[in-house]
Amino acid sequence: MLPAVKGAPYVVFLALVAALALALPRPARAFGDQGAFDPRSLLVGGQTTAARPTAPARWSWELVQRTSAPARLKPGTVRAEDPAITDGPFVYWSGDAQVPALTAAEIAGLRRFFALGGVMLVDDAGVSAEGSPGPFSKSARREIARVLPESTPITIGDEHVVFRSFYLLRRAEGRVAGTKTLDAIVRGGQAQVIFSAHDLGGALARGPTGLWEQSVVPGGDAQRERAIRLAVNVAMYVLCSNYKDDQVHAPFLMRRRAMAPSVLP
Amino acid sequence: MPTTHLAPSADLPSWAGVLAVLLVLVSLGLLVVEMRRRERGGVAILASGMLALLALLAAVLRPVRIAARESVVGARVVVLADASRSMALKDGGRTRREARDKALESLGKLGKDARLLVLGFGDGPPQPLAVGDGASDANARAPRSDLAAALRALAIAPDERPAAIVVVSDGRLDDPPEDASPSTFKALTDAMHVPVHVVATTREAPADASVRRVAAAGAAVAHVPLPLRVEIGCAGGLSCDELTVTARELREDGPPALLATGLAHLKDGKGTLDLTVTLERAGSRILEIAITPPGGDTIPENDRRLVTFNVARERVRVLHVAGRPTNDTRALRQWLKSDASVDVVAFFILRTPADNPQATQEDLALIPFPVDELFSEHLPSFDAVVLQDFDAQPYGLEKHLPALARYVKSGGGLIMVGGPNSFVAGGYAGTAIADVLPVGLDASPGSTAADTAPFLPQTSEQGRAAPLLGPLRGVVGDELPLMPGANVLGDVRTGGVVLWTHPTRTTKSGAPMPVLAIGDIGDGRTIAMGTDGGWLLEFSALGARTSGRGHGALWDGLLGWLMRDPRFEPAQLELATGCTGGLPTTVRAHLLPASPGGKPDMVTLDIARLDKRGAPLHLTAPRPAAGATAPTVELVVPPLEAGGFAARMRVGSGPATRRDFACEAGGDEWADSRPDPDRLRALATAAGGTFAWADDLTTLPLPKPTVVSAERHVVPVAPPWLWTLLAALAFGAHWFTRRRSGLV
Repeated sequence: MLPAVKGAPYVVFLALVAALALALPRPARAFGDQGAFDPRSLLVGGQTTAARPTAPARWSWELVQRTSAPARLKPGTVRAEDPAITDGPFVYWSGDAQVPALTAAEIAGLRRFFALGGVMLVDDAGVSAEGSPGPFSKSARREIARVLPESTPITIGDEHVVFRSFYLLRRAEGRVAGTKTLDAIVRGGQAQVIFSAHDLGGALARGPTGLWEQSVVPGGDAQRERAIRLAVNVAMYVLCSNYKDDQVHAPFLMRRRAMAPSVLP
Repeated sequence: MPTTHLAPSADLPSWAGVLAVLLVLVSLGLLVVEMRRRERGGVAILASGMLALLALLAAVLRPVRIAARESVVGARVVVLADASRSMALKDGGRTRREARDKALESLGKLGKDARLLVLGFGDGPPQPLAVGDGASDANARAPRSDLAAALRALAIAPDERPAAIVVVSDGRLDDPPEDASPSTFKALTDAMHVPVHVVATTREAPADASVRRVAAAGAAVAHVPLPLRVEIGCAGGLSCDELTVTARELREDGPPALLATGLAHLKDGKGTLDLTVTLERAGSRILEIAITPPGGDTIPENDRRLVTFNVARERVRVLHVAGRPTNDTRALRQWLKSDASVDVVAFFILRTPADNPQATQEDLALIPFPVDELFSEHLPSFDAVVLQDFDAQPYGLEKHLPALARYVKSGGGLIMVGGPNSFVAGGYAGTAIADVLPVGLDASPGSTAADTAPFLPQTSEQGRAAPLLGPLRGVVGDELPLMPGANVLGDVRTGGVVLWTHPTRTTKSGAPMPVLAIGDIGDGRTIAMGTDGGWLLEFSALGARTSGRGHGALWDGLLGWLMRDPRFEPAQLELATGCTGGLPTTVRAHLLPASPGGKPDMVTLDIARLDKRGAPLHLTAPRPAAGATAPTVELVVPPLEAGGFAARMRVGSGPATRRDFACEAGGDEWADSRPDPDRLRALATAAGGTFAWADDLTTLPLPKPTVVSAERHVVPVAPPWLWTLLAALAFGAHWFTRRRSGLV
């Protein structure tokens, strides 16, 4: 409780308090947000906007609310041929239409990005409610194959660290339930390109009014929550790499897996 | 001494002379037989015949007169006197060295006709030995007693071969060893083909219990148990059936740490004890192996041995603790995991109490941060701890900071990496950790914890010269990426070195604010990196141009320096001659070549006792000029007392390199104080020599002197034609005499 003073003495007291407050060591502000998770949307060809333009911001917001990881709340976009593609370790490539053939400059830019160890999430926004891949999925895989011709995607299930980098997940889900697994191109032990045929961005996209832009089928809000968790896990995988594969975590995670309900959607 | 004598002509083979004499004798015999049968004129015939034979013999031998100047030269005798440290041991009232010198004096009198060359043997070839009171300290200092090496050196020396060798020693030799066979002794002396006489200085063993030998089974590896075999000895009538043995590690940060202890059981004056010790820190580490001696022990100096182990690492164990996952965390983790020689135990704070994961604990892949377990029980097992953007307060690390500081001072490595939760902002100011960081932390009112303005770090002059930044500079040169902000750090502490500085901020003293600094603290090392932008060496325009190699190069140097990787040390230190207490020693430093055009630097060497007793020594020497391919500096260190020492060498104001070493009071030479006359006796027997005690050399057979002609003149007694003429006339007279007597 403040002391019961009036007039000038009270002002002086407040001034002293203010001076004291100024004199105390100020807490460090974050060093900008440069080292934070930045889900930059990748643009190729004549594309000017991402397929799910609001999803990355929501993704960052969810990450900041749920975890200790910092994230850029206003992620930007980056073009494949832009030298800035190597300014961060992650890009998010979402689309709902056929991808045109990448130019040589785009391929070179993406190769530089992957050579540095960058990670890309390829998200099919055009997947049908039943989980049938849209035109983006096939064409994106084709173009990625041109960028990384020596690598072939493999299926990754819940044994992969992406499914336990923060949440313990049984399967992949997005706007649609789709397949339980993800595909990934693994290079040097790291999943560098993760293919999602679930429209993860669709589950994250939220308009300026605060309403979800896309309905999630068939699981509704529960499925959306699991999709958000997968997005958080992908972000954590980008920031922590295979941290949850460390031996020290193994007994805990095995015990929790055993305790979890055996039947999950 | 001039002499004159006759001899046959030098051009006559000796066999011809002998043949001539034989023929003359045979002829004379025949003549005598012939004359016995005659009754008349026999004497004249015999006389003329003998005269003729002698004249003939003279004509054949043609005698010459030799005038020579001759001298008597004493035989060359090499005396090999034991010059090892064991000769400084006392037997009763006098040292073995005094007994040795007395024996040498007696030898000098006994061999007054001989040419005695007195050499001292110790380590390597024998050296001339100065004998006398003035040289008393200098001639019993050798760290070894290698008689075999001395004999081999004599055998191959181009000098005049000695007629005899005399060895004066207590018999406690390194080579030939105690269990050498007679054939070993014979092989050692056969090459000389001269007798080796032996004089033993010491009859009785002193009353002494000692640590005779410490042997390790294999190389010392950090964190790996190392079996030690300790040999204990007891002699001179001491009663010691059981002796307590302790193994302690000498440390700079505090009292010696007890690593193992045991009870040695002795039988017939000898005993062995197996101890197992675990050295947690790599580098040169000093173990003290000591016994609790029984009463009556007369040589306390050998009750403890100081053994220096160069502890290697199989793998570097790193504890990586990150306060939050960021790109910087990611980059460091990936680098740590990519190095097969690094064993990483990582704990990242993925969720703070303020976060709402909207899930039950069972849905989360999170485990509790075992801060108490890590920083109390397991801390010594790590070689380095990395605190990256980690706030000490919310996670209970604060109470462990004193232990973490002790861990550093006792040899551990610590890296604090910047970020919004690091250094002052992480609550480290004023804690025990602040005392071991290479920079000061200021949390006083009005101070700032961080500067969020982007900046370009500047490499300091010391940073340019520091080998640990060599790999990074090899990749990026002088260029560094724009960093997103900096933790506000204070002035560098004494012994620290600033490698990067802030371009605009200064410390309270006005110096450029450190951004990257390193420092030695006690036995350990610490690094302060006041930014979280290291990952930009990987992901940035600079990173793209350099294929991201700069990040790995930076951390390769930082962790390598922290772990004392020789590649990142400014010099390699070694003791040129070992170290014995009370004797000067030489520290040799192999330096990195100086950069062309660099300003001349001084090399400074600071030597301090690990137990902090006494004032440190400070030595300096100029650094070899640029252009020397393998620059080496040697500094002579004045005599040190026995104990453990830390030598720190610094080139200019650059980072220091350290080597710990031990000086023993007597070392190996005093470890076993018993004399070994039996070994000397065996040597004398094998080499055809004589054994004698130092106080009675009368039985020692020194070789006799030899006569040497210094000048020689040869003159024929008569010319050859005259001898021939005389022989002809003598034979003519003999023939005439025979004719007159009716003989032909």
